[in-house]
Amino acid sequence: MKLNRNSVIYAAVFTFVVCVAFVIILAIANQVTLARVNANKRLESRTAVLKAFGLADSTTPSSEIDSKYTQLVTEKSVEKATAYTATIDGQTYVAVKLTMPGLWGPITAVLATDPAGTVVRGFEIVDQQETPGLGGRISEPWFSAQFKGKKVLPDGTIAFEQGSGKGNFDPNNGTVDAITGASRTSDFVRALVNRSLALARQIGGTL
Amino acid sequence: MSDTGKTSAPAKVSPAGKVMRDGLWYNNPIFVQVLGICSTLAVTNNLRNTLIMVLGVSFATSMGSMTLSALRELIPRKVRMIVQVLVLSFYVIIIDIVLRAYQPAISKQLGPYVGLIITNCILMGRAEAFAASNPPGLAFLDGLANGLGYGWVLLVIAIVREFFGFGSLFGFKLVGDWFTPWTIMVMAPSAFFLVAIALWIANNYKAKVAAAAKAAAPGAAGAPAGQGGKP
Repeated sequence: MKLNRNSVIYAAVFTFVVCVAFVIILAIANQVTLARVNANKRLESRTAVLKAFGLADSTTPSSEIDSKYTQLVTEKSVEKATAYTATIDGQTYVAVKLTMPGLWGPITAVLATDPAGTVVRGFEIVDQQETPGLGGRISEPWFSAQFKGKKVLPDGTIAFEQGSGKGNFDPNNGTVDAITGASRTSDFVRALVNRSLALARQIGGTL
Repeated sequence: MSDTGKTSAPAKVSPAGKVMRDGLWYNNPIFVQVLGICSTLAVTNNLRNTLIMVLGVSFATSMGSMTLSALRELIPRKVRMIVQVLVLSFYVIIIDIVLRAYQPAISKQLGPYVGLIITNCILMGRAEAFAASNPPGLAFLDGLANGLGYGWVLLVIAIVREFFGFGSLFGFKLVGDWFTPWTIMVMAPSAFFLVAIALWIANNYKAKVAAAAKAAAPGAAGAPAGQGGKP
């Protein structure tokens, strides 16, 4: 029997069979790696929380993250965000993980502060889809390092400014450098930071 | 597609050698076919991302071309483009899944660009121009050669952009704090300038070589440097 390759039925059946075959392989590949991908995501989030609290840095081996996290951090779900508390040297700190809009997609970040929300303990980006090389630079270490120990302005916010592009590390001026060439991303991050600060104060007040 | 053969490698070499030479130089996807320019603009401000992109494109083009070539007798003409997109996107999604599971840091940094490999015209271009009418082994080589031909040009551009844009290569700082990064090098417009300059140099050089060959052997069929015309 010779197949008529030009018939509509052959084209339809062929396309259907090829689609099903490839999609099944993809589904299997996705299932096989699912546990790993989720573990990666959890580790990423825990690393960011620990870094924001100043309990870990980029040299901390990933094998220690989980044990440190379960030992030191308590997790609490609040409205549209996750709150964390940790006691470091007898002093309690609050952190908030919040997701807010960015330029291309949501930005998720962790901000840790004292319960009164007056001094930032640390800030870490967990996930973002900003333009690589421009807005994507919010994930670079120097950007989050600016927030370490930064005193919040009297109105309870952190200001973003066009600076030297090398970072603003003065802890007393309540101001950080925005990202050069990414004003929109900087605006989104500013909104995220200040909303997180407000949330942290709210949670800190109930402690 | 510009696979007319007028800019191909000398005919004396084996088919495999010819395919490699064509992809890497005589019919280079960037210089001659002018394909894959979108990703050239997007990822070349950083060497590491560029390298991953190049590996991804090479993998997807070579494996996709091979698969499509193996299926070429079975694919009905009417739906061949649908099948091409399906097979190519299959490999792209495989790359995405593997990166997410085993290289989460790189996957995060490349973000949407991995998925966008499917929009790279080189993939469809090679599937349509070569894989549809050649055996699987040769189609695999053609995909690989085009991926690498695209790759080396991208890496050269990325070296220039990362060095001037960040003062570093592969993320390693090479110059001191006195250096003020050229922000324009990080942004897309600089890739336009650099790609145009690279095209100009390559085609100028090709024209010179062709002219020299013509002068050396009058009457022999010279190979004028041709231009592709696909944006």
